[in-house]
Amino acid sequence: MADDQKPGGSEAAPPPGSEAAGQPAKPAPPKPAAAPPKPAAPPPPKPPAIMLATPWESDLARELKEAFGEAIGETSTYLGQNFIVAKPGSAIPILEYLKLESDFDYLVDVTAVDWPKRAERFDVVYILYSFSRNERVRVKIFIPDGYQPETAVGVHLTADWLEREVYDMFGIEFAGHPNMRRILMPDEWQGFPLRKDYGILQQDERWVQENLGIESGQ
Amino acid sequence: MPDSTFLDSTELVLNMGPQHPSTHGVLRIILKLDGEKVLGTECIIGYLHRGVEKIGENRTYAQFNPYVDRMDYVAAISNGLGYCLAVEKLLNVEAPPRAQCIRVILTELNRIASHLLWLGTHALDIGAITPVFYCLREREEALKIFEKYCGARLTTHAFRIGGLLYETYDGFEQEIRDFCAMFVPKVDEYEELLTNNRIWIGRLKDVGILSADECKEYGVTGPVLRAAGVKWDLRKAQPYSGYEKYDFEIPIRQNGDTYDRYIVRMEEMRQSVRIMQQAVEAIPEGPIMGKVGKVIKPPVGEAYVSIEAPKGELGYYVVSDGSTQPYRLRVRPPSFVNLQALDRMIRGGLVADVVAVVGTLDIVLGEIDR
Amino acid sequence: MRGLLNRIFLVDLFQGLWVTFRNQHPKYIYTEQYPAERPKVAERYRGAPRLNINPDNGETLCISCNLCALACPEALIVVTSERNEATKRKDLTTFTYDTSRCMFCGLCEDACPVDALELTQDFEMATYTREGQIWDRQMLEEGPKPTQYKC
Ligand code: SF4
Ligand code: SF4
Repeated sequence: MADDQKPGGSEAAPPPGSEAAGQPAKPAPPKPAAAPPKPAAPPPPKPPAIMLATPWESDLARELKEAFGEAIGETSTYLGQNFIVAKPGSAIPILEYLKLESDFDYLVDVTAVDWPKRAERFDVVYILYSFSRNERVRVKIFIPDGYQPETAVGVHLTADWLEREVYDMFGIEFAGHPNMRRILMPDEWQGFPLRKDYGILQQDERWVQENLGIESGQ
Repeated sequence: MPDSTFLDSTELVLNMGPQHPSTHGVLRIILKLDGEKVLGTECIIGYLHRGVEKIGENRTYAQFNPYVDRMDYVAAISNGLGYCLAVEKLLNVEAPPRAQCIRVILTELNRIASHLLWLGTHALDIGAITPVFYCLREREEALKIFEKYCGARLTTHAFRIGGLLYETYDGFEQEIRDFCAMFVPKVDEYEELLTNNRIWIGRLKDVGILSADECKEYGVTGPVLRAAGVKWDLRKAQPYSGYEKYDFEIPIRQNGDTYDRYIVRMEEMRQSVRIMQQAVEAIPEGPIMGKVGKVIKPPVGEAYVSIEAPKGELGYYVVSDGSTQPYRLRVRPPSFVNLQALDRMIRGGLVADVVAVVGTLDIVLGEIDR
Repeated sequence: MRGLLNRIFLVDLFQGLWVTFRNQHPKYIYTEQYPAERPKVAERYRGAPRLNINPDNGETLCISCNLCALACPEALIVVTSERNEATKRKDLTTFTYDTSRCMFCGLCEDACPVDALELTQDFEMATYTREGQIWDRQMLEEGPKPTQYKC
């Protein structure tokens, strides 16, 4: 595993990155003398901005609200992409409804996002596509740590590996999943790599020491 | 004690891989066999896991760009295109027309290169040695164009967020034209070698059938889905990067077996040539870099953008918290999802078909394990 | 009927053999005689790094701005400098570049404001030790000197 220190490491300078995104050819006016290194002050923490999503008005959104009422918290669209925020328990009925009634027959992806500071720590995101409508919709649920959402394998078989990967990376167990084991990491791996509080170097070193008996050298 | 005779057939568990030449990488398949018949399989993956998604969370947007090339390393340019489009979507900018056109040419060239490698190795797995030499010979021409354009053959890092860094080199158009003219007869040549060959037909026909409904159920996309008769290609369904401007067909077949998938991919290469021929005649003038700042800092939000990679739908789900680094970067790899259907495709088949089916799925382990 | 005749006379086989026969033509043979003949890589090839020096006075072009180190995703460039009181500039003291971790993406090259760091067309960078992969300033300025094999 590559070392995942923040590039720039100890200098604590915010990585400017993106120089590459500049110009086609490198314009190289030699910098005038003595450009002192930028004072290494991280940008002041901004108040947490929110996603500027707009409500999603469509037949489908209304239909869903009618069918599920309270269980649908929000139907929004951002950058032309629609998403639904649902109550954790109702995700599977919604997927089922979308599949059977609205032809969303292709589950593109199941994934999660970790927000350690929030009470409901994880977003679980189901991305759906409908071949006949040529439309995508995302169904999101917010769940606290330890909550076991129901598996979607009964609705879409493809959820099998995708949910296993979510479990592997985030430690979200799906209730009723036929084979809830790690998929990419070794079975005896400790911790869940894509959680924000996962210490990359420590975990890596420990595993290398235990299993290979050498220093990882990172 | 169960009465068993001396010649009783018992179930045998056989490990195929991870060091097996026809698994195209480090895939381990555990096969449960009854004689020659496959009773069930289980795939063990993750040998190549590098934590690309975690790396993405620890890099700036521009810095992460070279890493995506290392997922599907035979189609690095497609990966780069998907990533750039996803971040551009978050930034709400679009690459200028000239950049889009050059992107299309290179991506299609990369699709050809990827399909050529697939064809060569797939034929090699089946036992036809000759095509691999010819395929790699033609692929070399494509890689040379990449090398001249961006300085690397495989892990190209050709596109930048917002457009392109490199202008085309002198003679780029002519080389693309020459490649197209040279390449179409070559595809006919491969077909001459394989399409009517009785061994090829015998090994591929009615092997690993996956119907359209099963494809949808398993989320399988790309040529596998098209071979099952679903006329669906993201380049047509949700055009990106100016694909709506080009006139091309989506090849489909009806049976959904390994032979049909071969035909579909051959036809796709011809269509790619068609797209390239149209695009190269119409490269607009103008800038190649859109209006993105030096520091890429998308507003808070999220976007899912997917493209038609050579293997299927390649999606990027990017969540931004307003900083210079992605908060969450999820890659939806086509090979990972397609590989899941392997069990359905070979259950009840023969051991020798496993090789054919793994080959026809066109998986790249770098992308599955990420 | 036609299919039967095709099968009897092995048409598919001869068709294939005819293709392989055509490809015997020297025009279609493609072999690189690598150590004997060095391939010509493209002009934009991203290979071994080089720290350019000013041809007029032999001084390094690098102004120790550290931008390359910050741009690198792998954080493998380390630039140290000290302030020269006479000229009020920073003088480069050491420059290390760990080629073993480099993925030759070219971001550092793009970041350099004075074109001091460049990825060149040299590609023969193998060494016998891991330490040999870490290039210091002198190595970067001189470039790799691979053994040339002739036959
Ligand atoms: S080429 Fe890329 S990986 Fe190598 S030093 Fe430059 S920025 Fe770093
Ligand atoms: S970016 Fe160029 S000038 Fe600045 S430290 Fe690196 S090599 Fe030297």
